Amino acid sequence: MNRAERINTLKAIVKPFVKNHEAFDTLTEETDFISDLNINSANLVDIVLDVEEAFHIEIDNASMEKMLTIKAALDIIETKLAEK
Amino acid sequence: MIGNDIIDLDLAKRESNWQRKGYLNKIMTTGEQELIHNAQNPHEMVWYLWSLKEAAYKIYNRQTQHRGFIPLRLECKEFEWNGTDHYAKVYCGIHEFWTQTRITKSCIDTIAVGEKDNLKKVVSLHSKAGIEKKNGIPFRIVDAVLKPVSISHHGRYERIVSLIE
Repeated sequence: MNRAERINTLKAIVKPFVKNHEAFDTLTEETDFISDLNINSANLVDIVLDVEEAFHIEIDNASMEKMLTIKAALDIIETKLAEK
Repeated sequence: MIGNDIIDLDLAKRESNWQRKGYLNKIMTTGEQELIHNAQNPHEMVWYLWSLKEAAYKIYNRQTQHRGFIPLRLECKEFEWNGTDHYAKVYCGIHEFWTQTRITKSCIDTIAVGEKDNLKKVVSLHSKAGIEKKNGIPFRIVDAVLKPVSISHHGRYERIVSLIE
């Protein structure tokens, strides 16, 4: 799976929690889950758990703290996949 | 400094399934999970604790300019209830916050402050008129002095709070 494919998987995970659909349609790596997509912070937990399941990785607390943007999420996924 | 968080409990039930495997481990400390499991109303306890963390985080974020998803580092302790309001403290490293919460059947309404005495200085604002944002943080100008404002909106509920002298 390359980065573009990983973005697509991530987008599918994020989509059900998005409140600002316009920002979702123009999503880039810099897009912020909370300030751009208006995702409820309680749903960030669901995104973390869904990412763990979809990529078969475990996201430690220190990584979760940084998971606020698409780019940060992709970087964490890549780091965790590389560690496997 | 002030932070607040309001939760529509009916909407929370629809939006989030805290009973999902692994969910609480990501956001609640061992002590907090024990409180939830022993609570008469675990649903209300989950969202009560979450509102404390959210309200305290708003102050932490303003004070430190640090952004992060850090629910596990915000520890809720020292719970008290005076028959009307719930009081607690939230610790985050060297930072500490005092909270006051009103819980009704469908709403959890929490205010956090950085100094205990400020709980007595909280005022509710009924409109966003005069509120401006600087670096994403809301404030209002009273007698040429910047006063911090905190806004929370969830489902059917919205609350805007500030501090007076």
